[in-house]
Amino acid sequence: MSKMQSILEKLAINPVQAVEDYKKKTGKGAVGCIAPYTPEEIIHAAGMLPIGLWGGQVELNKVRAVLPAFACSIMQSIKELELSGSYDILTAVLCPSSCDTLKAIGQKWTRKDVPMIQFVHPHNRKLPAARTFLAKEYQHVRERLENVIGEPIPDEAIVQSIQVYNEHRAVMREFARAAGAHPDLIDPKTRHLVFKSAFFMRKEEHTALVRELTALLDEAPVKPWDGPKIILSGIMAEPDSILDVMKELHIAVVADDLAQESRQNRVDVPEDGTVMERLAEQWQNMYGCSLAYEHEKTRVPMLVDMVKKNQADAVVVAMMKFCDPEEFDYPMIKQTMEKENIPLLQVEIDQQMQSVEQFRTRMQSFVEMLRHE
Amino acid sequence: MEQALAQAGIHLEDAAGIVATGYGRMNSAYTDKQFSEISCHAKGIAHLLPNARTIIDIGGQDAKAIRLDDRGMVQQFAMNDKCAAGTGRFLEVMARVMETSLSELQEWDNKARTVAHVSSTCTVFAESEVISLLSAGTPKADIIAGVHKSVASKAGSLVLRIGLQEDVVMSGGVAQNRGVVKAMEAELKVPVQVAPNPQIVGALGAALFAYEAQMKKQK
Ligand code: SF4
Repeated sequence: MSKMQSILEKLAINPVQAVEDYKKKTGKGAVGCIAPYTPEEIIHAAGMLPIGLWGGQVELNKVRAVLPAFACSIMQSIKELELSGSYDILTAVLCPSSCDTLKAIGQKWTRKDVPMIQFVHPHNRKLPAARTFLAKEYQHVRERLENVIGEPIPDEAIVQSIQVYNEHRAVMREFARAAGAHPDLIDPKTRHLVFKSAFFMRKEEHTALVRELTALLDEAPVKPWDGPKIILSGIMAEPDSILDVMKELHIAVVADDLAQESRQNRVDVPEDGTVMERLAEQWQNMYGCSLAYEHEKTRVPMLVDMVKKNQADAVVVAMMKFCDPEEFDYPMIKQTMEKENIPLLQVEIDQQMQSVEQFRTRMQSFVEMLRHE
Repeated sequence: MEQALAQAGIHLEDAAGIVATGYGRMNSAYTDKQFSEISCHAKGIAHLLPNARTIIDIGGQDAKAIRLDDRGMVQQFAMNDKCAAGTGRFLEVMARVMETSLSELQEWDNKARTVAHVSSTCTVFAESEVISLLSAGTPKADIIAGVHKSVASKAGSLVLRIGLQEDVVMSGGVAQNRGVVKAMEAELKVPVQVAPNPQIVGALGAALFAYEAQMKKQK
């Protein structure tokens, strides 16, 4: 087996196994982090395993009674998994209130043995008061967690965890760059799995594996790629079957602006201030995301820059079905891409998607169109 | 496949190249290549009607709007989501509710005095709306004209997404229904041409792709 293959195998995703193994090894539990942004550093500092909850391909039954059909597809699956007890192996769950659907999810939590800790990201992010407010919210999260585990989470431990996370972010940004240069070695699904595996591992372990992987990529010769190069933008690009279609169509994902992938690593936690203030300031510094309100909408010019910098042929917006924050951004993206002459395709993301044929038709037509450009 | 070959009076060995398109294109054992139906419809229309800039293709499963540049290449396209509203399937459901057949819809439309209002957003709602209209005594012809308007407004919104440019051409099986074409003209406020044999335009495009590939090889 090649070295790269063996690293990728170590990154393979098995959430239940990961939680059980971690409990066995450390005697500590796992805390679920509902997408998209949670202060994972606090969980990490408590010696627990933060697990990213991003839904999955489950059949929707129980959720029909609690969420309307027009709630986004990721929250439909998260709620279904919750109601069917899949999250009962977790010690607690953190949930941000970034959008209306997330607010509802936190309020409708039913598992009595798995406490739900909800917090609010302020929308007027740039005000000094936003930092004070969010620092208090995070402090509240910390205290609730301390209650659950029955131990304090010291400042020094959080400072260390911040360092671990900043290092991880930097390594992931490097991986994204290297993967973009080597689509012959890292196909769209593999690229996605490298990002996703970070949600089921302690970050220091993930950092070590991805650093090794990136080094191998950097050693490999850069080969010319004759397929279309795209930038993926949106909340997430799942189920995996759509990435398989991209591979079949010889598409390279040269960079991404997905909440589940590169947005996680876009902004580091700054150095100055108390630990809670530092974590809060990271949210103030976030940019280019539909969930982090900004008057000037930097996401749009950011996407144009990404196209130029990565010599991409097009932008593909993976539009989470019924996600209003993303839908609000789309018209601006579309207008600008037209003005800039950058081909743009919108595809709908539905985690419950059974057949990829419609997706294939769209994607293939787009690729055929690009070939004529 | 055998039937198609028999009808054309040729054998498999006579075909220098075969291109597949449409849903199921991935599963065809005979083909050398496959292209999406969007590219094939564009190819077919550009061949038949070179002045076409907007294609509205409504088939059984989905509806698409395609914008062509002056070389006949696809510039942009929009496709309906998984919902059946605004597709041939929607017309089938409505024809069944009104106890008529797909082929009779246009005759009924001709007899309409006014156009009844039928929601364009959801097949299920539209079906119950049609039943209420029937029980309220609305003439069947008016309801059918309303159903056609509903399909046209759904396809019209796809056209708006890509930007309307003349000439506008309809392809796909539904284009055979003059009622829908008339409603489409009213919706877009421009003349809408119908491609000759609209239901085989995609196949023609696929054949043209196969032909071009063959010509290239011979060069
Ligand atoms: S609506 Fe969008 S932002 Fe809100 S939970 Fe769903 S996917 Fe996330």
